[in-house]
Amino acid sequence: MRLRPIYFTRQALDGMRRGPYVALVGMGTIFVALFATGLLAGALGGAERLLQAWAGEVRISAYLAPGTDLGAAQKAVAAAAPGREVRVVPAVAALRQLSEELGDQAHVLDGVGPGVVPDAVDVLAPGISLEGARALAERLRAVPGVAEVDYGNAWLEKLEALVARARVAAIVLFAVLALATAVLVGNTLRLAVFARREEIEILKLVGATDGFVSTPFLIEGLLQGLGGAALSIAALLGAHAVLVPRLRESVPLAAALRLGDTLPSALLLGLLAGGAAVGLLGSALAVVRTLRRS
Amino acid sequence: MIQLFHVSKEYPGDAPALQDVTLSIEKGEFVFLTGASGAGKSTLLKLIFCEEAATSGQLLLFGRNVAKIAPRSIPYLRRNIGVVFQDFKLLPRRTVAENVALPLEVQAMPVRDIRRKVKLLLRSVGLEHRAGKFPPSLSGGEQQRVAVVRALAADPALLLADEPTGNLDPERTIEVMELLTAANARGTTVLVATHDRSILERYKRRVVTLERGRLVSDGDSIRRVAGDRP
Repeated sequence: MRLRPIYFTRQALDGMRRGPYVALVGMGTIFVALFATGLLAGALGGAERLLQAWAGEVRISAYLAPGTDLGAAQKAVAAAAPGREVRVVPAVAALRQLSEELGDQAHVLDGVGPGVVPDAVDVLAPGISLEGARALAERLRAVPGVAEVDYGNAWLEKLEALVARARVAAIVLFAVLALATAVLVGNTLRLAVFARREEIEILKLVGATDGFVSTPFLIEGLLQGLGGAALSIAALLGAHAVLVPRLRESVPLAAALRLGDTLPSALLLGLLAGGAAVGLLGSALAVVRTLRRS
Repeated sequence: MIQLFHVSKEYPGDAPALQDVTLSIEKGEFVFLTGASGAGKSTLLKLIFCEEAATSGQLLLFGRNVAKIAPRSIPYLRRNIGVVFQDFKLLPRRTVAENVALPLEVQAMPVRDIRRKVKLLLRSVGLEHRAGKFPPSLSGGEQQRVAVVRALAADPALLLADEPTGNLDPERTIEVMELLTAANARGTTVLVATHDRSILERYKRRVVTLERGRLVSDGDSIRRVAGDRP
């Protein structure tokens, strides 16, 4: 069969024009699947960016046992965290800071003496990874006089576990959605192929090869896939434009979120390629089954 | 052109559609294939057109054993065969010109040549003014003329027609038959399946008669058609 891209593309467009509902259903199915996948991937990307933003502001506090020499503890902590900025936070200063943070409610601290709050040594560790923070906390715990170490690990580890689980879920979801979409698009295009079985029969009567018959359908599937993907990308960009400013209002860390964090160009290109592949696969399934029976 | 040797065709659970048919049609012949409904005429055409395979026996087409032709080669074989049906088999959503152009597009003829040829073909059957119309807006006779020119568009060596006048009145029947005989006069081998006795009487050509899947007569005389016992 001679390659005639213009002829076959025109045939595919004619087919879509003659059966617009089938084309719209196919495109819509691909749109929904890719939008759901893109939304999940975008949320994951955003969550990972937030984790990184947290890491940029991380402060690890080593609380000292009563009676520990603050100067000696500072030296020991600095030795355990080489290259990091180390700050001493005496109990009095900590109480003062707490009182400032409480503002109008500061009266609740009336009668609370410095002995209630422990002295602490803070390690500023911008850019540290969660694993690094965990290891550093372990080393600080081993420093003589350190009673407790806090780096916000409870919620952070939960968030990290959640992101890891979501990543696995996203991969599974994408695989399931891709398969389901290919089957759905395949069935939708089967309807299109079935509706045009008479045309296929006549084309075969006049000597058309299977390639000649199936190429317009494959292009149709490809165009539907690209159309569905383009729509999903537009919808994702719209969702980003609407949701991220609101997120920034409620989560200060989200100020660091950029379009490239939630919807990187690799993801958008992946969605486009995924849409094209699913459309092509669906139409191939449909047309092969029909040709096999004709 | 066409040679059948002891060809039979059976469908599971049915009586044989064709039984032990031996027949030879030479290049340039015009042959009527006749018989009552269910005699096996359409089945025989389907075998010749490679739409179905014979259960037993051998069918040679253009000197090639059809059973030995690879499925992927069948479309190329079909390009030498034009087919006309009783129900026209025109694409309702394509214009008359687009319908006639189909066999030429399949053969990748350049667009300009296709346009020129389609125009000539439609002019030859007096339908040039209908080129942009859709088949449902045409009369039955016009639709069948379109179907005939489509079948002849790629200058096939063989033209098969399955009850081509079955849906037409006598006047339109003559129009279509004239197209088929004209194609034959230009050298195309024509095989027409019909049970219309008036056609057989009007056009004195070779008549092959089938009865319950068996070839019961083969000759020039109308007196030997189905139902007439010698």
